[in-house]
Formats: sequence, C-alpha cells, structure tokens
Amino acid sequence: MTTYLYEQDLVTQKYRILVAMRHDSLVRKIAQELNIPVQELRRYLIEHLDMIQLENLPARAEMADDHADQGDAVARALGREKYSLYLRILSGATMDAIFSEVDARVHTGTPVDDAIAYGRTQIREALKI
Amino acid sequence: MKRIVDVNIPLGPIHPCFKEPIRLKCEAKGERITGAEVELGYMKKGIERIMKGRPWQEVMFLAERVCGICSVIHNMVFIEAMEQISDISVPPRAAYLRVIANELDRMQSHMLANFSYCYTIEHETLGMYLLDLREQVMDELERLTGARVTCAYIIPGGVRCDIPKKEAEALPANLDRIEEDLRRYAGMFEGGPMIALRSRGVGLLTLEAAQRAHVVGPTARGSGIAVDCRTNHPTYRKLGFVPITRTDCDNYARVMLRFDELFQSIDLIRKCLRELPKGVVRGGGVCKAGETRYSGEAPRGELTYFIKSDEFGRIVEIQIQTPSIMNIEACCHEMIIGSDSIADVTSTFVSADPCVACTER
Amino acid sequence: MNILQRIKNTVRSRSIHVAYVDVGSCNGCDIEVLACLAPRYDIEQYGIYVHNNPREADVLLVIGAYTPGWEEKLAMVWEKIPAPKAAITIGNCPISGCLFDRKGSFVDPPVKKHIPIAAEVPGCPPRPTEILQAIMSVRDSVFANWEEEHP
Repeated sequence: MTTYLYEQDLVTQKYRILVAMRHDSLVRKIAQELNIPVQELRRYLIEHLDMIQLENLPARAEMADDHADQGDAVARALGREKYSLYLRILSGATMDAIFSEVDARVHTGTPVDDAIAYGRTQIREALKI
Repeated sequence: MKRIVDVNIPLGPIHPCFKEPIRLKCEAKGERITGAEVELGYMKKGIERIMKGRPWQEVMFLAERVCGICSVIHNMVFIEAMEQISDISVPPRAAYLRVIANELDRMQSHMLANFSYCYTIEHETLGMYLLDLREQVMDELERLTGARVTCAYIIPGGVRCDIPKKEAEALPANLDRIEEDLRRYAGMFEGGPMIALRSRGVGLLTLEAAQRAHVVGPTARGSGIAVDCRTNHPTYRKLGFVPITRTDCDNYARVMLRFDELFQSIDLIRKCLRELPKGVVRGGGVCKAGETRYSGEAPRGELTYFIKSDEFGRIVEIQIQTPSIMNIEACCHEMIIGSDSIADVTSTFVSADPCVACTER
Repeated sequence: MNILQRIKNTVRSRSIHVAYVDVGSCNGCDIEVLACLAPRYDIEQYGIYVHNNPREADVLLVIGAYTPGWEEKLAMVWEKIPAPKAAITIGNCPISGCLFDRKGSFVDPPVKKHIPIAAEVPGCPPRPTEILQAIMSVRDSVFANWEEEHP
C-alpha cells in the first residue's frame, strides 16, 4: 500500500466538483437510469475516480451520447461503452461479462427490456451499491 | 482508490517545471509509467458560486479572472453568450477589433506554452527567445486594449475603445518583425535533432482516445481531429478561417501545431487590419433574460459557457467548461501512460498546455 | 560587525534564489512572475535566480488568495525554506482576496494570517518591473545583519 508523506482528505473537494450544475444533473441522470440512490453513486464516484476524471464527466458523457455503441442497439441501451470506455465507472472486462450475459438472454428469446433491466441489476451488483 | 503498485512517484504541487500547482501521482514499473492519478484542489476558488446572483457587469470581470493567460477569450465568450441571449448586434468594426484582440491573446498564450515546453526539455535558449518575443506581443496587446493581462476589452454591443491611430499604423510593421523572428525560432524547433529526440514519438494520444476524452484545441488538432470553434464564428467565417491539423499525435506535433497557429494568427490580424470597416465601436444594448450554451475557441481549445440569466441581466445559473479539463484528463490518463521515462512525464504534461486555474475555477 | 561579516552579508544579498508558490490565483500574476525571466526584464542580471525549489530559496513569492488545498501545505513549504528567508505576496489576492473574497467562495485571505509576510505588491496583476523592485528592496533586509545574529 502506498502512503504519502502528506496526504489530504479529498472527499470534500471531490464532492464540491460533483455538485456543480452539469455534474449534478449528469449524476442524477445516471442514478435514475441505474435506479440507485444519488448519494450512493456520488460516494462510489468519489472513491473510484480521481479529481480530473470527475471534472471531465459531463464532457465524456456528451461524447458517449454522440459516439458510443453506434452499431448495437442492445449495447447502447445498456450503456456498454458509455460506462466502461467513456465514463470509466466500470472496468471493460466486467462490462463485457455483463453484456455477453444480456446478449445471450436476448438471443434466447427474453424481451429486450427485461434483459436490459437484468443487465442493470448486474451493473448495480458490480458497483456494489 | 488504493492499489498496490511498483513505484509511486508524486510530482508537484510545487515542481520546477509546473507553473501552477497540480499533483500527479505516477505509478511506475521501473521507469515505465503505468498509470497516473491527479490531485487538484490547490486552485479551487469557487468562481461559479460567486457568479450566481450577480449582475453581468460584475460577472464580466469575474469571468475574465477564471484564467489570467487567456483572459480575452473568457471575456469574449461570456459577452457573446450574453449578446446571444439578448439579441444585441455588434458593429462590424467592433467585431473585427475583437478578432484582433483575441488573436493577439492567442499568440501570447501559444508562445508561453511553447516557452514552457522548451524550458521543460531544457532547451532554455529557444525558450528565452520565445519569451522575449511574447513581450513584444504583450506590448501590442497593451497598446490596443490598455492593459497587459486582464483588460476587459470586450463589452456587450462592441468593444471598450477604438484601436489608436498610431497602433493601427505600427501593428503591421511590428507583426512583420515578429513573424520574421518566429520563422527562425520555428525552424530551430523543427530542425533541432536533440529536440526531436525528446519530442518525436513521445506522449502519443491516439485519435480514438482523443475523441473519447473530448479533447479540444491544439491537443486535438495535433492528433488529427479538425475541431475548431472559430469555424462557427461569423467574423472568422468572413475572414475565411480554416483549421490546421497534424497527424503525428506526439509532443512534437502539438508544439509545431502551435507554431503553425501563430503564423495563422498573424495572417488573420493582417487580414483584419486590411479589411477593418469604418464606423462606431460601441453599439450598446440591454441584457435580458434567457438561457444559452455558447462556445468559443480559447488558445487551449473549446471553451463553453452555460448561462441562464434573469430579466435584469443577473446570472442565475452558470457553468464554465474550460478546455484544460479535457486536455489534462486525456494527458494524465492517455498520453503519459507508457512513457519510457519519468522525465517524459513533465514534458508530455506541459505539451498539452495545461492551465490549472481554468480547470478548477 | 566586522568587515568580513559585512562583506559576507553584502555578497549573499547579491545572490538570492527565488521560489514561487501559487495558492489559488487566476494565473495572471503567475505569468507576470514568469515574464520577469524574459530577456526584457532579465531578473538574473540582478543576481536573482528563479528556481522553483523551496529548499534552496531565500525569497518566497506567494501568489493567490489561499485555497483550502493549501491549508497545511503552505506552512510546510515555509518551514522548508532555510533561514534567512522572506516572503513577498504578489497581487491583490493575497492581500484582500481581490474579487474572489465573496460569500460562497472557498478562499481564505489574507495570506498574512498563515505565514509571515515581508512585503506586498498590490495590482491585478502588478507589472513585472514592480515585482522585480519588490524583490530587490527585500533582499537587502534579508541579509542585513544575518552574520552577527548567527555567527
């Protein structure tokens, strides 16, 4: 474990970044999409992303809306690249595993909405919220 | 987030190469960088929070002090956003003068960025040449606007004062001199074998990664993305502006691109001076209620203001998305990963022209 | 004070190292300090060497309005500078907070509260010549009777 000579508690400062206008609306949107409490999502983001990634969240989300998962409707609905490559909330391997499960369900005849809902519970599990 | 790593090297907040405080915690395996974490919070003043509920007359000066290096463009984007909300038209002469002030500001900012890069790779001679040339550009800016740094030149419905007659005559000659010197320095950078060793193939930012991180400005154009907000600006369109790109994706491309843009800026100012229409420079107007999103091209890239104002011209909601946010993010999480040596971290970081004051506001 | 001590004081005051630390400014004063390096102002001809290393510095330039990130760190930086030392603040921000010291902002000016300050240069931002003048006027007092006090 790395310990630094002088380490400051950054939680307050990270929280200040997240409550700015655009960051706040983005966090609320993601929380609504994944059906998790806003404060829990904020805690997860503060623990897992560094300060510049938090600052850049709205810009990345904007690019994800424009460019992520262009080819695959299911992946787009689930937010495969959005959460892994763009926002970097989840690792690529975790997201791929979730997506392949959802994709398998869609192929075996489960309605797309149900499969996506299942995928979202899996994302919630992965986020441990 | 805590991880176990091989070697962990914190750089900053006070570092000889960094002009501003930022802390990079680099994770290295031997000399190879495998990851980095950025710690900000040294410059967080909460400008957006102060801006809320204040009239535009006050916010205008606050907006300028978001960043001291590119203060003209912050002024310009905020004022043009307010103009867009309230349907204020700008006299043609004022629109051209805005472009001149903005391009002079871009020139001094690019020269400072290239100075910082040369200083970081220990080529102090070229660095000092550029810093000396920057003083000459600052003189032009001071003669035009009346102040060196925070000049509050642009106001709703025009600019604060007309270009002085003496300055209008002297500027083309001074630009000629600056261009001549600049051509020599750009040649020095382009042909320097030692500079190439430190710059070529270092700090690669691929096009896909750049797109994902929403990289803007010279950092994006150095990776081959032709994104430039000046193409959407009516005055620049009239001047026939075309963005420059390079496809090398490395430190060298980014610094050379700034040199190219310096020549482009000189040409734009010349064209402005030639075509400068006659007329008034202050049209006037009243700021009204509305909500808008307005982008302009800062020296570092796309600068966006999200503004909501009420009927008295007071700012209700505001958020500023500065170019350095995206550029520093891409720099720390894409460019410096895989660097062969710790020494390349600082030079790669500086090549993206980071501005921490912008990032944190 | 003997003649040798006097010579030592004079010579040392003609060769000083400067470190600058930005505690939350708008960058405007920052680049004016950087402009002092330019051949036009040429800070090094006065024997002043700007090297951003607090452990070697004699004079610390403090820029900015003191943000929460610096709470313990500025005092630590000040302690790391070997005596004799002096701190100069550049710009309005360290004196009064300039226009950042409003309700709702995070800054905590003046910097005087946190470390001892020898000189203040007002201006938003001050010109490079003024910064240069401030450093030059402080350097004599830093080493004025240092040798007798610490033989």
